[in-house]
Amino acid sequence: MSMTDMRITIGGVEFQNPILVASGTYGYGSEAEAYCDISGLGGIVTKSVSWKPRPGNYPRRIVETASGMLNSIGLANVGVHVFVEEKLPYLANFNTKIIANIAASSIDEYCKVLEHIEANATKNLAGYEINVSCPNVKDGGLSFGTSVSLVEELTKTLRAQTKKLLIIKLTPNVTSVAPFAAACESAGADAISLINTVLGMSVDIHTRRPRLSTVTGGLSGPAIKPIALAKVYEARKACSIPIIGIGGITSASDVMEFLIVGASLVQIGTANFVNPNIGNEINSDLHEMLSKKGIASVQDLVATLEVSDKMKALGW
Amino acid sequence: MQEKPRSKISLSKVLEKREVAPGLVILKFHNLFVATEAKPGQFVNVLPKVGFSDPLLRRPFSVYNTQGENVEIIIQDHGKGTGILATTQVGEYLDVLGPLGKPWNYDNDKYKTALLVIGGVGVASMPLLTRSLIQEEKTFAAYYGARNSSLFADEYLSEIKHSTDDGSQGFHGSVIDNLRKDLKARKYDQPKLFVCGPTGMMRAAIALANDFTIPCEVSLETEMACGIGICQGCPIENSPSEAEKSGKKFQLVCTHGPSFEREEIVL
Repeated sequence: MSMTDMRITIGGVEFQNPILVASGTYGYGSEAEAYCDISGLGGIVTKSVSWKPRPGNYPRRIVETASGMLNSIGLANVGVHVFVEEKLPYLANFNTKIIANIAASSIDEYCKVLEHIEANATKNLAGYEINVSCPNVKDGGLSFGTSVSLVEELTKTLRAQTKKLLIIKLTPNVTSVAPFAAACESAGADAISLINTVLGMSVDIHTRRPRLSTVTGGLSGPAIKPIALAKVYEARKACSIPIIGIGGITSASDVMEFLIVGASLVQIGTANFVNPNIGNEINSDLHEMLSKKGIASVQDLVATLEVSDKMKALGW
Repeated sequence: MQEKPRSKISLSKVLEKREVAPGLVILKFHNLFVATEAKPGQFVNVLPKVGFSDPLLRRPFSVYNTQGENVEIIIQDHGKGTGILATTQVGEYLDVLGPLGKPWNYDNDKYKTALLVIGGVGVASMPLLTRSLIQEEKTFAAYYGARNSSLFADEYLSEIKHSTDDGSQGFHGSVIDNLRKDLKARKYDQPKLFVCGPTGMMRAAIALANDFTIPCEVSLETEMACGIGICQGCPIENSPSEAEKSGKKFQLVCTHGPSFEREEIVL
């Protein structure tokens, strides 16, 4: 059995395997180090960082729901200064790619944060994921993420500031992601990642109160995987830049679904809360599954969805 | 030296199951790491079902007792996840992550008498503390309150002062009233309260400690996803003085707690 080549290159950056951990589900690496060989991961997308530190929302911040969870963390983060002084240098100790996720409430703030990280970049900082899709703060970018023209303007502006990977993280909370995917491509993004959490809600029937302090929150976990796959598929048809698939992945077969539909890389999110080593376990399972199937390179699986000509002709 | 990855996560075989009080199930399982590493007040995060399933997330439980290579947790069925765990049978396996969190702050000379203040299933964090206090030859007493005499799970406790709402055992009234009476009588030399129970009881204990100007540490129970500081899902608000000192509005119950000194937080 020949072993599958697990490397994937997007935007000129080579990832040792397609398994990344999603922003907000892995802290800044140090929290998970005792449980996980960080250098085994394809990459780490760090917790959203803003210009100033943010304390996050009042409790209650999480509620478990059927095969998933609602969260309303509210972008709790250390701020970009601590991020570049403490977190990036720590993450430079690991043999994996680091992607800095940025959250902001204005184009100026996004630029300021990116510029500060760029000026303090470490050797394994591969680039940026721009969070235009947090549903849990009043000023967290979702107003950007639901406007095609703002996403396009933001992407264009940030593109002019960096040659590193520029990834725009899209929200599923829009009627169609296709115009957003196309706008990111035309504005010069290297890739898009999707989906961020799905807006959701849970109510205590005895007190008639919302379970989350902020009333609504973001749904994640296995419950949203079918939504994520459909959005990745829609985006795949709408643009030709690489896609990073996110949403409910807990196994190697889940990863294969995303790759087949059109993602080049994936991010593991909520599953890290159950098992902080799941990224490595999935990577090892995936390697074995692909090798057994005789697939020479993981790249060979990307966007290989078979839709019959008949259904294509009918517009599917 | 950092322990090897996943040494804190393991499948643990259930060896024994018993009911200590109505609705309170004890599961004893084999887990050498937790049995040897767990300190009083720490917890384990346990999956209702092995693998990624529904319910998806782990549930936190205080380490109730350790014996040799075995560990006990106490489960109160109050929902889907704990309901499934309460039906676990001997011979089945639990997916256990831990020990997690910081221990009770008992190992110091800032007090002379430890007063354990216990309500309901809050007893879960007290046996290991009791054992350590005995080992260190500290003076202590355990104020334990329940609705009635059948609800006490006091097999591993010592120096117990029972109180019941219905008067069926010990002091007739709340655990807080029983303790207040003895504090008023100046029964204890330089006491510190170690409190675990329902939130209302813990608030009352903090108010009592404020009245008598004595140290008071409360062990909190909150919704939690990861238990290791990644998800940021279990914040507790810092008191103004703590916020000023740390520059932070919140701390995480999983990694900074689960127990906090009364001055640190707003409960």
